[in-house]
Amino acid sequence: MRDLKPRKDLLDIEGLELPEIEYVLSNAVPFKQLFQRSVKKVPTLRGKTVLNLFYEPSTRTSSSFEVAANRMSADVTNFTVSSSSVVKGESLLDTIETLQAMRSDYIVIRHQAAGVPNIVAKHTGASVINAGDGYHAHPTQALLDAMTFREVCPDYQGRKMVIVGDVLHSRVARSTSTLFHKLGIEVGVLGPGTLIPSGRHEFIRRFRSWDEVFDWKPDAVYLLRVQLERQEGMFFPSIAEYHKMYGMNTERLVRMRQIGAYLMHPGPVNRGVEITDEAMRYERSLISTQVENGIAVRMAVLHWLKPETDTD
Amino acid sequence: MPSATPRLFQNGRIASADSKDLLASDVLVDETGTIVAIGPGLTAPADAELIDCGGGVLVPGMFDVHVHAREPGQEHKETLATCSAAALRGGVTGVVLMPDTSPPVDTGNLVKSARDLIAELSAIPMLQAGCLTKGREGKEMAGFSGMASRGVPMLTDADRAVPCPDLLRRCMEYARDFDLLVTSHCDTPALSKAGAINEGRVSYRFGLPGIPAISQEIAIDRDIRVAQHTGAKLHLQQISTARGLQSVQCAKEAGTSVTCEVSPHHLVLTEQDIRDYNTHFKFHPPLRPAADVEALVAGFIDGSIDVLACDHAPHTEFEKSSEFGSAPFGAAGLETTVPVMFDRFIRKGVFGWDLLIKRYSASPRRLVGLAPVAIAEGARAEFFLFDPEGETPVTRETMKTKSPVSPFLGETLVGKVRGTVLGAAWYPQG
Repeated sequence: MRDLKPRKDLLDIEGLELPEIEYVLSNAVPFKQLFQRSVKKVPTLRGKTVLNLFYEPSTRTSSSFEVAANRMSADVTNFTVSSSSVVKGESLLDTIETLQAMRSDYIVIRHQAAGVPNIVAKHTGASVINAGDGYHAHPTQALLDAMTFREVCPDYQGRKMVIVGDVLHSRVARSTSTLFHKLGIEVGVLGPGTLIPSGRHEFIRRFRSWDEVFDWKPDAVYLLRVQLERQEGMFFPSIAEYHKMYGMNTERLVRMRQIGAYLMHPGPVNRGVEITDEAMRYERSLISTQVENGIAVRMAVLHWLKPETDTD
Repeated sequence: MPSATPRLFQNGRIASADSKDLLASDVLVDETGTIVAIGPGLTAPADAELIDCGGGVLVPGMFDVHVHAREPGQEHKETLATCSAAALRGGVTGVVLMPDTSPPVDTGNLVKSARDLIAELSAIPMLQAGCLTKGREGKEMAGFSGMASRGVPMLTDADRAVPCPDLLRRCMEYARDFDLLVTSHCDTPALSKAGAINEGRVSYRFGLPGIPAISQEIAIDRDIRVAQHTGAKLHLQQISTARGLQSVQCAKEAGTSVTCEVSPHHLVLTEQDIRDYNTHFKFHPPLRPAADVEALVAGFIDGSIDVLACDHAPHTEFEKSSEFGSAPFGAAGLETTVPVMFDRFIRKGVFGWDLLIKRYSASPRRLVGLAPVAIAEGARAEFFLFDPEGETPVTRETMKTKSPVSPFLGETLVGKVRGTVLGAAWYPQG
């Protein structure tokens, strides 16, 4: 296991080798077992510092990283920059310089613009973990999704998952579908033609209706969050129509039960849009498992990456 | 440094637009800057400076119709002095300046003041283009007659399309009577929006908003139709897709007075060359897939593309260091265009110097009403010496532009401009 090349940053899924993915996913398992104990902490990162740098509000991801870092005994600083307070004059490079002075060992960054973690990584010795950049990537989400899927389908190769919703603007869809493809899990997508990047990823199957999806018998259905603010009336006519066409409702839940499919969602959910209240109580919903696995996977990522600030 | 002595260029090989073959010859330029003799084994006058070309190629000076010099108003990016130094390093002896300075050049008086600045600060001739609409805002027609009387070579809103087809139509109708060339940046802003790179597989992978090919293609079709309707002369900047080129070809076959240009980067780079969010590869129009590039190269060779123009668009490295989505479009091009064209095409035998001279020296001059330059007895000296064995390193240190931003940064191109002659002046390049 330990003959992996040391890696400084986790920026996207594309660049990862299969053994690295295996390493992280298998290490996440014992970390998760810790959560059952009364003392949930390990001393692995004692004396190390983690900077949580969030340019986009995200309570869930930011807390998940914070809890993960705390359980590794690292010191955590949270730094939330609301986009309105980003002064136009201060460039990204200025910000990076400021960060350098804080001498963090790990920088967890979320930014509304794609590619920002790549720039930060190039300019700092700290390990940079991409916690979501624009439409580009969200690698720890993909890893926690894979962990969750493999827990319920240990013989995961050749299994099937369908992603439903705004695939075009989703970094979750990009990273998760890329990772699942690497692991040999088949991926399909369902959503309005305006939100599916057609023909751009040949390995992904495209469905036009739930009937087609259920005929394919997927092992899991992954609902994406509808970004209500993003639609501008350009991508689908109304929320009501979206819900009718693509939402997880009572009738579809019946079909889900028939084929025994699991339900996943990256959170936070829009109740009544992509999912109904009833579907939230679905017995094969993995949504809260995803949250728990998120912490374990992020601990495994912190454990795996090797900052250049390490001198010992 | 320029000084008034006769110069004898020995052991050169003269390139021309008319022949694939290079003519082994000496060239004697007198102290007034006139070519007085051409032929093998010329004897130098006593006071002449001897320049041994060592078998290098003597090439007529290039002319670039698409240059942003940034002065006045944005001298932190580029000045007329650094822009002309970059041009001389690239064998370019004349340019057309885009009017998107600050303030934009949209009246006769502003053209006059731009021409005064050029006379004072530039080492090479520069023609100042004027705006189509006031302030490049796409709302009202700019002062055509005043600008025409000050000799603008073309009208263009430089990097902006005129969004309203009615206003574009009136501009063309009005320009026709002054015999002014209307030059279009082909783009449909409602489609390109906040796009950063070509929409497709690569934009999806990078998670960046895309600029669809149709945003340029629809604009090309629209502008050609309006030109056909009004009878105006139209020049289309920076063609980037196969379908866009097809539209130009059809219009030409129909007898429309339309010309188009392509940039060196659209001829040699594809969207696949964009790596790791490197903003030096961010252009508008964006780099396209390989199939488009192949069609553009074919069009460049067969003549459906009239002109090569580099869209010299300097931005500081700092400005380019922001994240890809918000970094400005464009890069410096004047000093890399000839070496890039040599390195990628001429050296490999794809085409000869004659074609490059046609597209980057003769046609662009004709486009703006100038006579092509040639290396001939009795002509004013306007050529450069190119060493095909030399090397052009593209680095911060070697670039003469104020903004060393280039997709070729870090490369060492084969071939080198050793010096440029402009009249009596000789500008050796280190």
